[in-house]
Amino acid sequence: MNSIGLRTLFAKETRRFLKVPGQTLAQPVVTTTLYFLVFGYALGGRVREVDGSPYIRFIVPGLILLTLTQNAFLNTSSSMFIAKLQGTIVDLLVAPLGVVDLMVAYLAAAVLRGLMTGTLVWLIAGVFTGFGVVHPIWVLTYVLLVAMAFASIGLAVAIWSDKFEQLNVIPTFILTPLTFLGGVFYSAHMLPKPWDTVTRFNPILYMVEGLRFGFLGASSTSPWLGLAITGGVATIATALAARMFHTGYKLRS
Amino acid sequence: MLVPASSTAAVETTDLAKSYPRVEALRGLSLRIEPGEIFALLGPNGAGKTTWISIVCGLVRPTAGRAQVLGHDVVRDSLAARRQVGLVPQEVNFDPFFTPREVLRFQMGYYGVPPDDARIDEVLAALDLSSKADTNTRALSGGMKRRLLIAKALVPRPRVVFLDEPTAGVDVALRHDLWSYVRTLRAGGTTIVLTTHYLEEAEALADRVAIIDKGTLVGTDTPAALLRRFGRKQVRFKLGAPWSGGAETLPAQLRLLGATLDATSETVICPVDATPIADLLALAALLSPAVVDVAIVQPTLEDVFLQLTGRPDAAASLQRAKA
Repeated sequence: MNSIGLRTLFAKETRRFLKVPGQTLAQPVVTTTLYFLVFGYALGGRVREVDGSPYIRFIVPGLILLTLTQNAFLNTSSSMFIAKLQGTIVDLLVAPLGVVDLMVAYLAAAVLRGLMTGTLVWLIAGVFTGFGVVHPIWVLTYVLLVAMAFASIGLAVAIWSDKFEQLNVIPTFILTPLTFLGGVFYSAHMLPKPWDTVTRFNPILYMVEGLRFGFLGASSTSPWLGLAITGGVATIATALAARMFHTGYKLRS
Repeated sequence: MLVPASSTAAVETTDLAKSYPRVEALRGLSLRIEPGEIFALLGPNGAGKTTWISIVCGLVRPTAGRAQVLGHDVVRDSLAARRQVGLVPQEVNFDPFFTPREVLRFQMGYYGVPPDDARIDEVLAALDLSSKADTNTRALSGGMKRRLLIAKALVPRPRVVFLDEPTAGVDVALRHDLWSYVRTLRAGGTTIVLTTHYLEEAEALADRVAIIDKGTLVGTDTPAALLRRFGRKQVRFKLGAPWSGGAETLPAQLRLLGATLDATSETVICPVDATPIADLLALAALLSPAVVDVAIVQPTLEDVFLQLTGRPDAAASLQRAKA
């Protein structure tokens, strides 16, 4: 392993998003806070309580997950795609950086950005709903696995994409709909049939509910089942991105 | 600085081939480059120069054959091979988020070299980028971006540096500065492999030249040896007005020596070969319109290229690049 190379790439990827904090940190936090205020207050007056929690508190874990997934995905996907587009990917491909070095550096920086934005959303929400966390270890485990999964998906999508249009296909048509339909703003119990069953095929539901269990102590799905599904998605996504680096898919002709 | 051929080669490729669905880019190219050499790959666009370099640097996977850098196989032992190489790619690239100093610091790190500002300052100064060290790379001119590419390749002190068309689009003064720096690097023991279609670049810099055409090696030797073997010195008689007929109407004595006309019919070109120059000059009296100027032209690698490939089109592409 090239430990200096790994640390250097991690530092570079981190500095890349810290150089434009308005775009990479402030903007997602503002967007998610608006969701929180609009949905929390507008719907909160009508829904009042879900699964034993006030609605405005109920949606916080989902909003943190929304921010986390988007930022972890964007950090790797934008960095890799820009590197391909600008040609600077050559620097990494010629340098003696192995698959492990590349994967750990890219994922660690993306997870860091996801954690930073997620924490900011939690702090802002906490001002309105309180900072209590029932199961911090569950929260940390879920947050890390989810960020890793979406960072890996971002890497894989960017490596696969030849055009901006392709880069946007997966988040626009798959990830965002699955996230919004994954119980961020509602509980699976609240859906009419057959949608309460259909939604259970959405893996993001288990991530949201798992994080909800960590924050609130209650969820509509088993946190253990959620852990298995989240871990499975993270493992598959990481293996896919690592395989792409290993084989040189769309990187080394 | 050349090391005897018995030691491990800086770069060695054996029957290296690369096929794409519709193109055979390399057709079994075998080359051996000694440590400390400046080695030039010469050939027209599409000859396979960049494919060869890309395979050796790990960017392209070979279809057949093998490539080694300082004894490390570029496929089986790729990290060890890549640790020895620096690449200046043909296309200018830059990271718009960072300054040259940051970029060079990252580049050292990728090669497992701890940050060393003294080394970074040394490379920046050598490439005349010191004044732009802390400016965003976006603000650099095209020539500066190209120099930054060279700085990136050199800063981790690789033992073998590949320069893929390093002076394409670079002004003459900078081109000569770069040549000078390449010689300095070689003096320090670095092996330099460059591709070019600037003939004078290969002539001026290279210890040895490989001429590549259509993915195959057509000749390799020192520039001087190639010129001796394949180049032809010429006497050029400039006439006061265009010759009225074709080359077949030139005086028989000149035709027997292989004389031809240039495209404007204003110059008669006669290869020197074994004929004494004085005898050739005496033949000028046979020409009418009268000769107004005489030039003795030394052979160039362009002639060598033409002789080896028999392709005036490919030779012409080299000449255009030179202009």
